[in-house]
Amino acid sequence: MSYYVTVMLMYVLIGVISAWGLNLQFGETGVLNFAFIVFVAAGAYTTGVLSLGHPGHGGYQQYFWGAAWPWPLPWIASTVVGGLLGLAVGAISLRRLRGDYQAMVMLVVSLIATYLVSANVGFLNGQVGLALIPAPFQGSLHLSTLGYRWFYLGLTAAFTLLVYEVMRRITNSPLGRRLRAVRENEAAAVALGTNVVATRLLTMFVGGAVAALAGAIEVQFVGAWAPSGWTYPETFGLFAAVLVGGRGNLGGVAVGALLVQGLFLEGTVLLPNIGSPDLIGAVQWITMGVMIMVFMWFRPQGVIPERRKVFDGGGAATRARRFRLPLVPSKVGGGARG
Amino acid sequence: MNQVLSSLGFGIVTASILLPAAVGFTLQFSATNVLNIGFGSQMTLAAFMGYVCTSHGLNLWLALVLAGVFGALTSVVLNRALLTPFLRRGTTFFGMIVITIALSLVLEYSIEAIWGPQSVFYPLPPGGVVHIAGMTFTPDQLVIIGIGIVIALATHALLRYTRTGKAMRAVASNASLASASGVPAQRIVDLAWLLSGFMGGAAGVMLGISISSVSFTMGDTMLIEIIAAAVLGGVGKVYGAMLGALVIGVLLEESAIVLSGAYAPISAFAVLILVLLVRPTGLFASSAASVKGVAA
Repeated sequence: MSYYVTVMLMYVLIGVISAWGLNLQFGETGVLNFAFIVFVAAGAYTTGVLSLGHPGHGGYQQYFWGAAWPWPLPWIASTVVGGLLGLAVGAISLRRLRGDYQAMVMLVVSLIATYLVSANVGFLNGQVGLALIPAPFQGSLHLSTLGYRWFYLGLTAAFTLLVYEVMRRITNSPLGRRLRAVRENEAAAVALGTNVVATRLLTMFVGGAVAALAGAIEVQFVGAWAPSGWTYPETFGLFAAVLVGGRGNLGGVAVGALLVQGLFLEGTVLLPNIGSPDLIGAVQWITMGVMIMVFMWFRPQGVIPERRKVFDGGGAATRARRFRLPLVPSKVGGGARG
Repeated sequence: MNQVLSSLGFGIVTASILLPAAVGFTLQFSATNVLNIGFGSQMTLAAFMGYVCTSHGLNLWLALVLAGVFGALTSVVLNRALLTPFLRRGTTFFGMIVITIALSLVLEYSIEAIWGPQSVFYPLPPGGVVHIAGMTFTPDQLVIIGIGIVIALATHALLRYTRTGKAMRAVASNASLASASGVPAQRIVDLAWLLSGFMGGAAGVMLGISISSVSFTMGDTMLIEIIAAAVLGGVGKVYGAMLGALVIGVLLEESAIVLSGAYAPISAFAVLILVLLVRPTGLFASSAASVKGVAA
């Protein structure tokens, strides 16, 4: 049981970190990154390759290059790779394309990435994926298997706090206001001198790095990574977490990840044994789909909604309260687009 | 040369399957402004209904028609019962994408729960091969190509020569103006869902016949191919979707000659991204398309 608790907590924490990364892109800035899982995968593969050592001596798995770097280095490398990949994908899909095209191109990018890795066996061991990825300090700590799991959980929790702090600082800063301006009203943000494309690229960089960190943590916990684990529908689970929890609210997103990763996906394990494992898997995904719909119907703003932020020195807010005026000028420039 | 021709044959078959799906997807998107990620799963569901029909001894082509009708009905019901209420509640464009994602999860895994994770098979009649201009087809493939052409022509006739088609184009280019001019918008929207469901359902069975098996994840990859075709032609452009289906279909098969088989799908999608870098709104997009925008 204790073993199961560690597994569940690990998945929740990894889910929370990824969901925060996605929240920065989708929740704060409105970027529909349907290729998000690719960045998680990039981080996982980077850490995998950098901790497996040089390929070839085992012969049971192939990858293009490898090293056995000491612990924090693979994770750092993963975040760098994830961030740069985010910039590259963003540069292709976010510069000239309209919102709906961006979303669709991201889906296509996700599929291309899966194909590329699956097709090329010499690159990252193709469809089979990497296995036997060592965990940090496992050899030197002399802990029991369970003891090591708790240690790794603690390490993950520390990094979760780190990511939280980074995210909190970004969203509470002037930069955070700029992100929300881009999300709420692109035309107005442009008119006020915001470089919308650069802002979106920045969230692709930071979000990609965070996703890759989540992947790096996950791969050293699980010890294996293969294309079937990061097909494009996986991204939808993270979108569900952000939406259910409350986009734009870090605490809310964490609750969403807890609900989606913990309750909808893992909670079905607590159900009575209803049949084959395939059926349980199917029921998990159906539950998730239904829960997303239920939440979108009853609480479209999420369990813990985004806090309303008003920055106008108080004058307008007081006036708005007194005369019941709308606080936010709704649909500036809406006429030109309609 | 021979290889190029035979791959072209496969490409035409793939394009004929992609065409109805991409046209249906685009028709519905342009009329309703709902990006339906659940389209792939709806196709798969219809393909499984086709399987149910054939396993009860019905003729394969009759099953195809019935699956199309089933697809049309589910599409309309899903829109009326699920999507329209959300739209009425003021769910945003991106919110609707999430709803259709959830719908896709529910449909796809309900299919797995009912029919299991293994593939099922249509009873394909044994048949010889037909040689046409250096290309080799089975009779089934010829029928598939025929269906693709008929659907393309029927769509063209509907949009160009009927009042309903005119109304659909009007709603697609400006829904509120069309509504103000007396076009019954709700009926047009229903019709768009009906047509897209029918075309998707038929395409699902055609795909099942072509790859000779049906599995619950079949719609996942197909959805991306459909989206690629639709985006390549220009989102919301029906003729663009036809052209996009042809280009993507042929590319998917032709590139297998140059690249090894596993890489072939990548090239088609890479072409899509290259085209979008040069023409950000697709091949067929007019300037009006960029003005229309989406309700964010």
